[in-house]
Amino acid sequence: MDYAIEVQGLKKAFHQNQVINDISFQVKKGEIFGFLGPSGSGKTTTIKILTGELVQKDGYVKVLDVHSQKFSRANFRSRIGILSDNSSLYERLTVYDNLKLFCKLYHAPLEQIDVILHEVDLVDARKKIVSKLSKGMKQRVLLAKALIHQPEIVFLDEPTSALDPGNMAHIHRGLQKLNEAGTTIFLTTHDMEEATLLCDRVAFLNKGELQEMGSPEELRYKYSTHAFHVETFDGKKLIIENEAKNGDKIRDLIVNDRVKSLHTDKPTLGQIFLKVTGKELV
Amino acid sequence: MNTQRISAIFEKDLKDFMKNMMLLMMPIIPIVLAVVYSRLGEGEELPLVVIYIVVGVIFSAVTTSIMMTMMAEENEKKTLRGLMLSPASFLDIIIGKSLVTGLMTLITLVISFSIIGFGPILNIYTIIGLFLLFLFFLFLGIGIGLFSKSIASTSAYMMPVMFLFGFTPMIEFLGLPEGSFGLKLADNFPLMQVMKVSDTGSWLPLGVVTIWVIGAALFTLICFKKTKTDD
Ligand SMILES: Nc1ncnc2c1ncn2[C@@H]1O[C@H](COP(=O)(O)OP(=O)(O)O)[C@@H](O)[C@H]1O
Ligand SMILES: [Mg+2]
Repeated sequence: MDYAIEVQGLKKAFHQNQVINDISFQVKKGEIFGFLGPSGSGKTTTIKILTGELVQKDGYVKVLDVHSQKFSRANFRSRIGILSDNSSLYERLTVYDNLKLFCKLYHAPLEQIDVILHEVDLVDARKKIVSKLSKGMKQRVLLAKALIHQPEIVFLDEPTSALDPGNMAHIHRGLQKLNEAGTTIFLTTHDMEEATLLCDRVAFLNKGELQEMGSPEELRYKYSTHAFHVETFDGKKLIIENEAKNGDKIRDLIVNDRVKSLHTDKPTLGQIFLKVTGKELV
Repeated sequence: MNTQRISAIFEKDLKDFMKNMMLLMMPIIPIVLAVVYSRLGEGEELPLVVIYIVVGVIFSAVTTSIMMTMMAEENEKKTLRGLMLSPASFLDIIIGKSLVTGLMTLITLVISFSIIGFGPILNIYTIIGLFLLFLFFLFLGIGIGLFSKSIASTSAYMMPVMFLFGFTPMIEFLGLPEGSFGLKLADNFPLMQVMKVSDTGSWLPLGVVTIWVIGAALFTLICFKKTKTDD
C-alpha cells in the first residue's frame, strides 16, 4: 500500500484516564500530515505510540508497513526520525559531536553531518558548545539530529512552539524542502497558521477523539457559509447569501462601482476548530 | 549488541566526562587519600587494611559514583530518551558507559597504587578479586542509576554504598568486641573477602565475592524490570 501510517481503532489509557479514544486515520507516503489539538488532547501520546515509545493494547498501528509489535527493532528505528516535545542535546558537547553520536548510532556516513548542518543553516555553529546556543538554534540542531540518517518519515512534536518567527520560518522552509525530496512528515501543532501553510492534510484531535480530517482547503470550503462578504467604499459591510436571487444585488454594487472588496466566506482553520470542538486552540 | 553503537556511546561519554568537573573530581578523592596514607607510612609498606580502604574508596567513589551519575544525568536531562529512540539497544548504552567507568577505575587504580606501591596486589588472585569487585560496584551503579531521576538524588544513594561496601575495612577501628555480630557480618562483605585473598592467597573468598556479584547483577535486573514497567 501507499500508506506511511495506518491507524485503526487506536485506544490508550493511563490508569483510568482514557487519553486516546478509538481513533483511525491513514497518512499517505509523501504527505505532510498535521495533527492539531489543544494541549492535553493526546497529540504527544499518539506520536509516542507511532514511534514505539509507548505500547498500545487496543487497535492496529502500522508505520512504513511495519506492525507496532516490531517498532523496537533497530532496522525500523533507522527508517524513522523523531523530534519529540522535550528532546534534548548533550549540553557540554559541540554541535558536531552531538550529531556525530547519532550519525554513528544510525550507521550513517559522517559526511552527512556537514550536509545536514548546511540544510538547517548551522554550518558556522559546527564547533560551538550546545549550552552556548540560543533556543532556536538548539531546536535546529534537534531537527538535524532527527534527519541525519535520512529517514523515510519524520515525526515532529510541536517543532516550532515557543520559537521566534525567524527561526520558525527557517524550520518551515527546511520541512518543505525535505518533503519535496520525498520524506513523509507527521507533525503536531496547535498553531493553525503553521498547519495551513505546511500541511497537505490535517486532523483535529479533541479529548482523544478525531473530530475532523481533510486538506485545509477542503475544510475551509466545507465550513464556509458560502456567503459573499462585501465592503463598500462608504464603509458598509454586507453579507450576501450565495443564491440566484441575490445576483442582481451584487451586479448593482459592481455596476455602481461601490465595491471595495468582495470575497466568499472562508473560515480559518482556527475558526473551524472552534466550530467543530467548541474549543479555542491554545 | 552492536560494537559500532557501543563505541559511539563510549566516545560520547568519554568526551562528556572530560568536560564534567563533577565527574573529574571523583578520581581525585582516592588519589589524594593514597598520597596522604603513603606520607603517613613514611616509605614503609602500608598495612593491608589501609590499602583496602583506598581500594574501597576507588570502587565506591569512582566506579559506582561515575556510573550512576552518568545515568542519572541522562535521565534528568532527558537525553536517555533520544538514545532509546535510536537503533541503539539499552545494552549498547550500558556497555558504552561501563567502558568509560572501567577506564576511569583502571586509571585511578594505577595512579593510586603507583603511589602506595603495587606490592600487595600483584598476584593473579588479587587481580581477579579486584575485577570481581569492579563488577560488583558497577552493577550497584547501574542499578541505582536506573531509578535515579536526578543527579542530586544520587548522593543520597551514594552514602549507604560508600559506608557499607566502600569503607568496610574501617570497622576494625570501631573497637567492636572480638567475635561480635557486626564484625562477623562485615567479614563476609566483598571488600573484606578480597582483602583475605591478598592476605592468604586462597581461592575460596573469590567464591563469596562471586555470590555478591551475582546478587548485585540481580539487583540491577530488578531495577531494570521495574523502570521498564512504569509507564
Ligand atoms: N505517562 C503518562 N501517565 C499518565 N498520564 C499521561 C501520561 N502522558 C500523558 N498523560 C495524560 O494524557 C493526556 C494527553 O497528554 P498528551 O498526549 O501529552 O497531550 P498533548 O501532547 O496533546 O498536549 C493528558 O491529560 C496527560 O495528562
Ligand atoms: Mg504534547
